[in-house]
Amino acid sequence: MSTVNQSIASRPILRIGRWLLRVAIAALFLFAAITKLIDPSSFAQQIANYQLTPWLATAVLSVFLPALELCVGISLLLGRWESGALVWVAILLTIFSGALLSAIVRGLSIDCGCFGRSIENTGTLWPLIRNLVLLAVTGFLWFSRDKK
Amino acid sequence: MTALQQAGLILLIAVGLAGATAAVHPKRPPFLVPPRDSNEVTLAQTKPWAGNILWVDARSESEFASEHIPDAVCLNFENWNEQFPKFLDRYNPGQRVVVYCSATSCQLSREIAAKLKSSGVDETYFLEGGWEAWKQQNRP
Repeated sequence: MSTVNQSIASRPILRIGRWLLRVAIAALFLFAAITKLIDPSSFAQQIANYQLTPWLATAVLSVFLPALELCVGISLLLGRWESGALVWVAILLTIFSGALLSAIVRGLSIDCGCFGRSIENTGTLWPLIRNLVLLAVTGFLWFSRDKK
Repeated sequence: MTALQQAGLILLIAVGLAGATAAVHPKRPPFLVPPRDSNEVTLAQTKPWAGNILWVDARSESEFASEHIPDAVCLNFENWNEQFPKFLDRYNPGQRVVVYCSATSCQLSREIAAKLKSSGVDETYFLEGGWEAWKQQNRP
């Protein structure tokens, strides 16, 4: 993958493209975090709709997930601790995709809850597809990152 | 610093932020007891609606065939396409719809109620305790 890195370093247009992708992921995570942090109680109910965790874990997740998304978003936006942030982006997107997939398999008619109550009626299929695209982007950012 | 060390630091900061949110946020969730859903009703709450309720049985067709609340309609995810038109035939706008399933642990009534609401049936509720609760209060 060092060839990806060298190719990006030598071509400014790719460097700008990479920067844009990183800022886009940062903005998405910041938006997701803020919309959930506005009303953690409401977000807890959205997590509960997945019927995957007992209430205590659901309540803890409703404050922990937006906090982690916020930290990851700030880190990516500032370009500090980028590698660590990308690790979390990959982990979070994988967990979210797993939850969405399980809801689809169980036939649950629920809302994604990805952006709190700010964007509703998204269902679960499109958010799953979006997450898989974001995972691919994260993979690109990971392999093309500056390893200093 | 390695990626894992960075990830660890991000985690630590996030835990601190989550702790602060849990401690002071005015809209923090209750951590020990789940909040009551505003669409959940008890049998006592449904009493004043007598004559204006359409009961929806979200259990399986075999359970419905075995016994059900008088005049209830069978409607679940498996038979939705066939039964939803029949439900609409029985439903009068303005009527309250109360969905029930087997017992408190069963989530189907909540899901069917949510699906009915998203289908435009606004006054939809689900019964706390489900069929077990109804049976207990209506024993001969």
